[in-house]
Amino acid sequence: MNYEMVIGLEVHAELSTETKIYCSCKNEFGFEVNTRCCPICTGMPGTLPTLNEKVVEYAVKMGCALHCDINQVCKQDRKNYFYPDLPKAYQISQFDIPLCEHGYVDVLVDGKEKRIGVTRIHIEEDAGKLLHNDSFAGSLVDFNRCGVPLIEIVSEPDMRSPQEAKAYLETIRSILQYLDISDCKMQEGSIRCDVNVSVMKAGSNEFGTRCEMKNVNSFSGAVRAIEYEAKRQIEVLEAGGVIEQETRKWDDAKGESIPLRSKEDAQDYRYFPEPDLQTIVLTDEFVENIRASIPELPNVKVARYLRDYGLQQIDAEQLADDPQKAALFEEVLAEKKCTPKSVCNWILGDIAKLMNEKNCTLADLSIKASSLASLLSMIESGAISNAIGKKVFDLMQESDKSPEEIVKENGFAQISDEGALLEIVKTVLTANEKSVSDYRGGKTNALGFLVGQCMKASKGKGNPAKMKELLLSMIKEA
Amino acid sequence: MKVDVKRLAKLARIRISEEQEVRYEQQMQDIIEMVEKLPPLESRDSLVDPDHPMTLRKDVPSAPYKRDDILKNAPQVQAGCVVVPKVIE
Amino acid sequence: MELYNQTAASLAKMLQNKECSSVEATQSVLDRIAAVEDTVGAFVTVTGEEALRRAKEIDDRRAAGEELPPLAGVPVAIKDNICTKDVKTTCSSKMLENFVPPYNATVMERLNREGTVMVGKLNMDEFAMGSSCETSYFKKTKNPHNPEYVPGGSSGGSAAAVAAGEAFVSLGSDTGGSIRLPASYCGVIGLKPTYGSVSRYGLVAFASSLDQIGPFGRCVADVAMTYSAICGHDPYDATSANRAYPQFTVGGAGDMKGKVIGIPKEYFGLGVSAEVHDRVMKAAELFEKNGAVLKEVSLPSTPYALSAYYIISSAEASSNLARFDGVKYGYRTPEFENLTDLYEKTRSEGFGDEVKRRILLGTFVLSSGYYDAYYKRAKLLQKQIQQEFSETFSSCDLLLTPTGTDTAFRLGEKESDPLSMYANDICTVTVNIAGLPAISVPCGNAANGLPVGMQLIAPKFEEQRLFTAAGCYEALTEQPLCPVASL
Repeated sequence: MNYEMVIGLEVHAELSTETKIYCSCKNEFGFEVNTRCCPICTGMPGTLPTLNEKVVEYAVKMGCALHCDINQVCKQDRKNYFYPDLPKAYQISQFDIPLCEHGYVDVLVDGKEKRIGVTRIHIEEDAGKLLHNDSFAGSLVDFNRCGVPLIEIVSEPDMRSPQEAKAYLETIRSILQYLDISDCKMQEGSIRCDVNVSVMKAGSNEFGTRCEMKNVNSFSGAVRAIEYEAKRQIEVLEAGGVIEQETRKWDDAKGESIPLRSKEDAQDYRYFPEPDLQTIVLTDEFVENIRASIPELPNVKVARYLRDYGLQQIDAEQLADDPQKAALFEEVLAEKKCTPKSVCNWILGDIAKLMNEKNCTLADLSIKASSLASLLSMIESGAISNAIGKKVFDLMQESDKSPEEIVKENGFAQISDEGALLEIVKTVLTANEKSVSDYRGGKTNALGFLVGQCMKASKGKGNPAKMKELLLSMIKEA
Repeated sequence: MKVDVKRLAKLARIRISEEQEVRYEQQMQDIIEMVEKLPPLESRDSLVDPDHPMTLRKDVPSAPYKRDDILKNAPQVQAGCVVVPKVIE
Repeated sequence: MELYNQTAASLAKMLQNKECSSVEATQSVLDRIAAVEDTVGAFVTVTGEEALRRAKEIDDRRAAGEELPPLAGVPVAIKDNICTKDVKTTCSSKMLENFVPPYNATVMERLNREGTVMVGKLNMDEFAMGSSCETSYFKKTKNPHNPEYVPGGSSGGSAAAVAAGEAFVSLGSDTGGSIRLPASYCGVIGLKPTYGSVSRYGLVAFASSLDQIGPFGRCVADVAMTYSAICGHDPYDATSANRAYPQFTVGGAGDMKGKVIGIPKEYFGLGVSAEVHDRVMKAAELFEKNGAVLKEVSLPSTPYALSAYYIISSAEASSNLARFDGVKYGYRTPEFENLTDLYEKTRSEGFGDEVKRRILLGTFVLSSGYYDAYYKRAKLLQKQIQQEFSETFSSCDLLLTPTGTDTAFRLGEKESDPLSMYANDICTVTVNIAGLPAISVPCGNAANGLPVGMQLIAPKFEEQRLFTAAGCYEALTEQPLCPVASL
């Protein structure tokens, strides 16, 4: 029997605001325990929350990016449960009216676009951290993370394979980074996800019973967790069993999940409207300003690069992932002097290498799009060789001269004049008679050596293709 | 309607004796009867009040609190943290 | 006359004129506390030393020629659910017996800026849940007019201290009548301000959407002055109203001329005793005689308000009090096996009966499957009640009702019967449900010698109308409205 997977994802992303969501404590990671908290985020009696406007702005930004309806009138709710990392014993979240809902995102899977529905995006506060130590019988509570702003992005159960889930997660992450609203550092826990998986018979329209998996700490872990869970569920069904709705905990090291709690002892969170906060009311202007500020998103860019410029998906993604690279790519193309392929190769090749060497961003290199366009056009037209082009590029970094000036001043212009080239070829042939006879004797690689000698004699400026042509014709003539 | 006081007590992390259970149950029953006399109301309306919009806080940090002030009321402190019985989830 | 017998307003004048010092006034109050506290039991903590230090500081500043605000140097006392930095704030609960807040409530910051001298923290019903001050973990406060009777609650200590001359003014909090009922029982004036006019930051929450801090005093001017000092927008409280407040004035004998006073008929049934009914109507007639127009009005949803109140307040309380779990502050059970055991034992041992009962009720009304029928219905009813009030206020300036259904009851009389205890709140809870301002003013004594209180209710942010009407009544009565109880 064939089965199809049905996957839904809940992504929690910490927002990179200056302060926490409900107090003015700094939102910073990696400081000494309990030094980034105050009476408010540690839930002292009498304290009250005040909502950070940047959190609303960032959440709406993400909502607009994911084509959501923005609920301009919405509220926050309390989710009540006892746990030591939750000092108020309730989490301020959003229950029935999230800030954003009914959106979607298009992701690319194997070069094909797939649309994934986004059910909702809501704002909420993060909990603290429990620290465990084998030598100590108790657990320690660090409140620094309490009140760090989160958005929870809930997808529709629209994914049908682990690959689609991975593509979705990577797309969400790249959008968050593009909008500059989250650091998305998996290792710091600033982006986390819960995975919902069910299986159904292939061709069926009826979803099976789903299980939720918690503690998925990486995107590759999500793929493994989905594969494991689908396999587990299929085995249960094949053995004639039924799937129980439950929450499971994924253990990535062991590559397995274990039941955490069943539907029966699901917690009763007793949601109710947060009485310490009033209704959030957003003006049309507020939302429209945010909407207008959203750049073209990486997933949309990639699709366009594939469609309009014929790039490979992997190249297009690499360009789109870095807004600066994508911008340079498009600015150079706008000069209409060179092909997309060569711009792409240069940015992902030599320029990326230079960024690596200098350990800097593209902006630090201050490359002028017009100069790069001129340089690439000289290479494409054969005015200079690719090798010279690299030299010119290096020199461009050291002065603000145009590539044309550099080529001229250094006499880099490629020699394509047949008379001049013929002189060089003649000299090389005379000096390397042995190689000429080798070639005639059938050692074809001798030709390469001869071309190399010509290049050397021309100080790199001879047009290699033309010189090869001349070599061949002269060898045959003689 | 019967009130499951035991379940409520478990949810609220309050332990009650048998005697208290009976007493609370009766008292809550009385209160619930009173409450059930409420008139029926259209419950489709959501609980938002757009006439009183909330002023949002500017995203500007304030000076940090001293850790000692945050922890001075805690019953048990170790290594700059409050201590709870070991929890593993 | 001893200094403690003065009103805050007259003391303020004496201080300004240097007829006495703040140290003398503070010492007079501390002496009074020493003399009567055994009988009254209004305080959980007396901060005598700190108060004298503070009084001296104010005196020095005044001597140095500094221009000081009106309340500078006046001894005040604070309900023990208002956080005071470095001074224990217990909520009269075992749970917070040793809790020392690391911060000040906004009202404390404002009073400090005003230069008041805090003499101590006042007893209350545990976590403000109760109408008699009997649910305090520490002690039962007595009614200064007759120590066999309760002072009312939950701000029983706040009312009793002012009535007994143990403070000039005090702060309490009012969720369903917790300022007005004890004011009425103890024969002092108590104001429950408009929801959102006084910051709740630092008030240990009982029911966040209903709680409001307000002042007690022995004359209308004292209450107006204290309210003026604590009201105003606070960026730390998102529910605090961002608006300007007028300079408040106290009304005189002729100031109710032409004003329409609504008499809501529903408030005179509901088990209101004949004596209370009679006293309040006498006050109404006095207003009428002096030019006010009486108008019978109806607020038909009133009978449901008590239910809505118990649902909303318990629901919010169950959530607000969940943080008391023996981890971060407060009581922790000495022995436990695991986390759940720690939570359950701590909460069972740390909270009293009434608190537990309300937490359980609140847990019930919010639990899955009941939320719509209870909590949501109550919130919608709240909107309806607000609507009714605003319609009523289109045809009258103020409403006049009894504060309590009767005078104070005997200690222990209603302890075992929560429903009859809750019924005390019937005249006051609607005001909280509607978020309105209301003031309780003494309007004579009953045959048992205990004070009766009337309640004046105004539209939102119209506290001035309350000070006008209460001031007018004060001017029209021949005897002092709130004499210090002789003990």
